[in-house]
Amino acid sequence: MYWLKWAGLPVMVIDGAGRLAKGPALLMILGAAFAVSVVSVSSGAYPLSTADILAVWMGDLDDEVASMVLFDVRLPRLVLGFLVGAVLAVSGAILQGLFRNPLADPGLIGVSAGASLAAIAVIVLGGTWLGGWLDLAGVWALPIAAFFGGSGTVLLAWRIARRAGQTSVATLLLAGIAINAIAGAGTGLLTFYSSDEELRSLTFWTMGSLGHASWDDVAMAAPWLLLSLCAAPFLARPLDAFLLGEQVVGHLGYNTDWTKRAAILIAGLGVGAAVAVSGLIGFVGLVVPHLVRQTLGAGHRIVLPASALAGGTLLVGADCLARVVVAPAELPIGLMMALIGGPFFLLLLLRTRIA
Amino acid sequence: MRMRVVVAVCAACFFGLTLAEAAEPRIVSADGSITETVYALGAAGSLAGVDTTSNYPPEVRSLPRVGYLRALPFEGVLALRPDVLLTTVEAAPDKTLERLKRSGVEVIQLPVARSPEDTMARIREIGRVLGKDAQAEAMVADMQQRVERIGAVAGNSPVRVLFLMAAGNHGVMIAGRDTAADALLQALGASNAMDEVSGYKPANREALLASWPDAIVIAESRPGQFDIAEWPQLAALDAWKKGRHYVGDSMLLLGFGPRLPQAMEEVAGVLAKVGRVARNGH
Repeated sequence: MYWLKWAGLPVMVIDGAGRLAKGPALLMILGAAFAVSVVSVSSGAYPLSTADILAVWMGDLDDEVASMVLFDVRLPRLVLGFLVGAVLAVSGAILQGLFRNPLADPGLIGVSAGASLAAIAVIVLGGTWLGGWLDLAGVWALPIAAFFGGSGTVLLAWRIARRAGQTSVATLLLAGIAINAIAGAGTGLLTFYSSDEELRSLTFWTMGSLGHASWDDVAMAAPWLLLSLCAAPFLARPLDAFLLGEQVVGHLGYNTDWTKRAAILIAGLGVGAAVAVSGLIGFVGLVVPHLVRQTLGAGHRIVLPASALAGGTLLVGADCLARVVVAPAELPIGLMMALIGGPFFLLLLLRTRIA
Repeated sequence: MRMRVVVAVCAACFFGLTLAEAAEPRIVSADGSITETVYALGAAGSLAGVDTTSNYPPEVRSLPRVGYLRALPFEGVLALRPDVLLTTVEAAPDKTLERLKRSGVEVIQLPVARSPEDTMARIREIGRVLGKDAQAEAMVADMQQRVERIGAVAGNSPVRVLFLMAAGNHGVMIAGRDTAADALLQALGASNAMDEVSGYKPANREALLASWPDAIVIAESRPGQFDIAEWPQLAALDAWKKGRHYVGDSMLLLGFGPRLPQAMEEVAGVLAKVGRVARNGH
């Protein structure tokens, strides 16, 4: 049903500010997403020619190892990378709309800090205090803890910001900052008590990775990620109203508090699930919506879907590079993201300033 | 007649080749001291790749690297088409190891070595995997002899040693209980001046002064990384002033690999000075 909302996009309009026509632009991103997916499936440390891949894909080549590389390693990695990138970008767009601040990102309301604290607690205390949890949850101990840590922190920040049925965006921001500081201190404390090996593990976790993605990871995270992606379009119009100021939202007939609550829930659950399976990946949530707004305008009915596509494309693209540049080793994806994204963003900034 | 010779030569070549192949599996080694052992056993040719902790001997740097042993990439390891992944129980993630096993790679996880006995057991095991049992036995016999000789020299009075790690931007860390550094001191019959701390912890300059050790050992991850000029508190210690200190490579000191006797001899040399000082004092 909600696809109808997207179908109602203004198509083929070139606006006065010289921005790209929205329909073709979306098609272009879609094309890029497809291209990058093909590249992602065909690149990696294990040598597989395009012909091999096609043969394995069609079931003509009966090579157990090749089909494992393709179906159990590269495909889940592609799917997870796309979903995670999309959710991070959409959550960034939603929070930037909610806070009316282009600097807002999922980290701001405590998701990353909360998820890190929980994940690092599992890494460091797994052998001692949290041993029971490890026995209970097995390999899922860390992702589940990270999910609850991340989304739990967001809900806590929201609870603090809520008074007499109203959510104060300013208080939410300040509560987020305070919670970030507290979680950061907890993380630091655990780091101090960690052994050398735990230290290495947690350092790698904070740099993010899609390298170990399996279908189990996809199955666990996809429901939350998809829920968050599917719910996002419903926020497009209320968020447009938010651009005009918080009072205006009510005047335009939207429920202000409902919008805030939904925005926080969607971003919190989505990013919580993303962080749980892929570790900390910065930059996507901050910059992708920003780029989309610069090229396609600020209306959320275009910003949200375009951010989802562009975020997924960007993350999958970065992941392709991450796995080939230092092959047979792999760079952490968070690191790769900052490496390509940072300079690119800076270039864009400089260009707009000169123009 | 000539035909028969040709056939015989061909057959010999063929069997020779298959034998060589059977004896030398293609190996990816994910652990610095395992890699050292493979080199020391003369099986460098069977190495298809190593991890980032493998830095000795220097030739190893020309081999493909699969990343850190706690974050092994499945495709990266598989791409080197190894028969065996030789690593320790520290290797991770489990998912990668399990996938490698499923794709036909034999994953051998050796226990972590924390004593000369562990090291020798490990060398024998690696020798078995490489088909170099005789070389491994010879190496173990030599190691046994050298370790016993060191024990005979060092084992009179327990010396308190301050063990420090100089690594990257983290500055200097003190090595407490449950570390490879502590294990090395135990192997030498020395005691750790920082045994109230567990693991590696950032150094507290006052605590360094307060520890007042008999000798100081510093492990650097790069040569020249430790600069005494930045640590006046250490320079003020009697042990440093009297030259009872040793600064050496961390992989040599803490690797518990084939160079263990060398590491023990180097440190024992410093400990012996303490013994002489004590005797002179009495």
